[in-house]
Amino acid sequence: MNRRNAMTALAVLVLAVIADALLSRVQGDGPKGAEAAAVWWLLAGWVLLLWFVLGRLAQLRGRVLGLLAPALFGLAMLYLWEIAVVGWDVPRVLLPAPHAVGEALAARWGALRADFRQTAVSVVAGYCAGCGAGFGVALLADRYRLLQRGLLPLAGMAGAVPIVGIAPIMVMWFGFDWQSKAAVAAIVTFFPMLVNTLAGLASVDAMHRDLMRTYGAGHLATLLKLRLPSALPFVFNALKINSTLALISAIVAEFFGSPIYGLGFRISAEVARMNVDVVWAAIALAALAGSVFYGLIALVERAMTFWHASYRS
Amino acid sequence: MRITKPTRLLTGMALAFAAAGAQAQDKITLQLKWVTQAQFAGYYVAKDKGFYKDAGLDVTIKAGGPDINPSQVIAGGGADVVVDWMPSALATREKGVPLVNIAQVFQRSGMELTCRNDSGVKTPADFKGKTLGVWFSGNEYPFLSWMDKLGLKTNGEPDGVKVLKQGFNVDPLLQKQAACISTMTYNEYWQLIEAGMKPEQLTVFKYEDQGVATLEDGLYATEKTLADPKMAEKLARFVKASMKGWDYAVKNQDEAVKIVLKNDASGAQKEGHQKRMMGEIAKLVGTGKTGQLDMKAYERTVDTLMNGKSDPVITKKPVGAVTDKIFVASQK
Repeated sequence: MNRRNAMTALAVLVLAVIADALLSRVQGDGPKGAEAAAVWWLLAGWVLLLWFVLGRLAQLRGRVLGLLAPALFGLAMLYLWEIAVVGWDVPRVLLPAPHAVGEALAARWGALRADFRQTAVSVVAGYCAGCGAGFGVALLADRYRLLQRGLLPLAGMAGAVPIVGIAPIMVMWFGFDWQSKAAVAAIVTFFPMLVNTLAGLASVDAMHRDLMRTYGAGHLATLLKLRLPSALPFVFNALKINSTLALISAIVAEFFGSPIYGLGFRISAEVARMNVDVVWAAIALAALAGSVFYGLIALVERAMTFWHASYRS
Repeated sequence: MRITKPTRLLTGMALAFAAAGAQAQDKITLQLKWVTQAQFAGYYVAKDKGFYKDAGLDVTIKAGGPDINPSQVIAGGGADVVVDWMPSALATREKGVPLVNIAQVFQRSGMELTCRNDSGVKTPADFKGKTLGVWFSGNEYPFLSWMDKLGLKTNGEPDGVKVLKQGFNVDPLLQKQAACISTMTYNEYWQLIEAGMKPEQLTVFKYEDQGVATLEDGLYATEKTLADPKMAEKLARFVKASMKGWDYAVKNQDEAVKIVLKNDASGAQKEGHQKRMMGEIAKLVGTGKTGQLDMKAYERTVDTLMNGKSDPVITKKPVGAVTDKIFVASQK
């Protein structure tokens, strides 16, 4: 290990030691007056050291080493949250500390797991339905110009409908269970998929299209061999956007009538019971699920559109 | 310059007016439990008829709504005094927000479970295996206590009940999505009737009759507010004027309804519905001293909440959750 890396490693160690010391000092009946000011000044210095270390770590390259900077950043954010809440004695019902959220996650894991399963069913069903419908309608609108003119403005309106308006109506139509939440997710994901697919189909180079014409290729052959593959980057764009949209809309839809499980139900019921740490645990679970969903689609995208210019570094 | 008699007189008058103006400045913010409706007639009447002004108070009434939990509003500093139900207030107190009951406006509970006869529910024994609609946001505690008393699990097991988090409307019953839904005697039940259902088609289980009633609309403030003698004195004046408003509203219901409708910013409330609501609310306010908390009813509420074998709403007997200090001061 060269001298530079050794200094960075030492700095990380110093960060950890100071962090631990500061946190244990502010627990319980913390310091008062001048000593309290000293603690906050020391924390400010700690942040500066963190900045320096992150700068060094961000220059590392490689599969594992490249993750060090984001990992340290994430941990540092959690730490600052913890020390701010504990140090300033923030009421638990306003903002719980990360350790309280972790405890709630562990204590209520059974219920949260069942909630997650319920929401996941509606998210996946709605996502597939909405993206499938958007894709299908885009293909039709591409083939028949008349549909494109008439349908696009209507689809735009469907995309602008607020979730909080459409959710109670879906509950009335499809009942309280996962079907109504899937319907909301489908409506919300329809428009981005439609618009992006159309844009992708239209993005084909005119020269390539002429070439297919000279080969005597019909609409279907041109579609399958040229236009759909070119449209893939756009389609994946929509799929990635829709992954988070579907999750958000399903959770919000659960606020408006649901059985007594589901991430949205858990958030709304526990916030009213002032169990804010359980709320944050549910939020953390939803955020994690959303990131994993997004990441999976990004991986598939990488595999299928490796040829695209954006992957050339 | 010499201070002449007229100048002294004018200065004296100016100071007196300033003092009088300053006295009318005592601001108090009240957070209601729900939207503007006859359920809160007493406060709107007190404001409109000038009872608050006479007491030297400038009261801001904040309407509530879906997912506005008054206990959370006061915890966040958004109000000085809130209207809330006792189960929610006690549960919040246990979570670390020191709410204290300073007056109990409703002596009886208006909560009930309304069932369709064609769902096969005639007695509480028929609940097994059925779907029941319940509000959450702090209103689920009496229901959970009742189910616990009946020995019915609420997680959807075949020999328990399936619970739906109902929205603030009566559609689940109209659409047969639930066998029973939660209603208030003064609001949702009448929404069912207005939607076309007939009383003969419905069976109503009042929480009062089932022995699981808990105290509802009451006034709550935080311990910190009560510890400040100036605020305590302001609250005493507020309670006095509010109870005067309630007495007036119960005696002059039509006028009270007009005042409520005038204050309804949304314009969504209808006069006929509000008149019926006012009539039902008057039955809940009770016949004793308006605003006085009946300690026996308080004990009953605490027992109901603590008796949940599997999931009690509160785990220990509350200490210091109620005070008669303000009410006694308001009676002077």
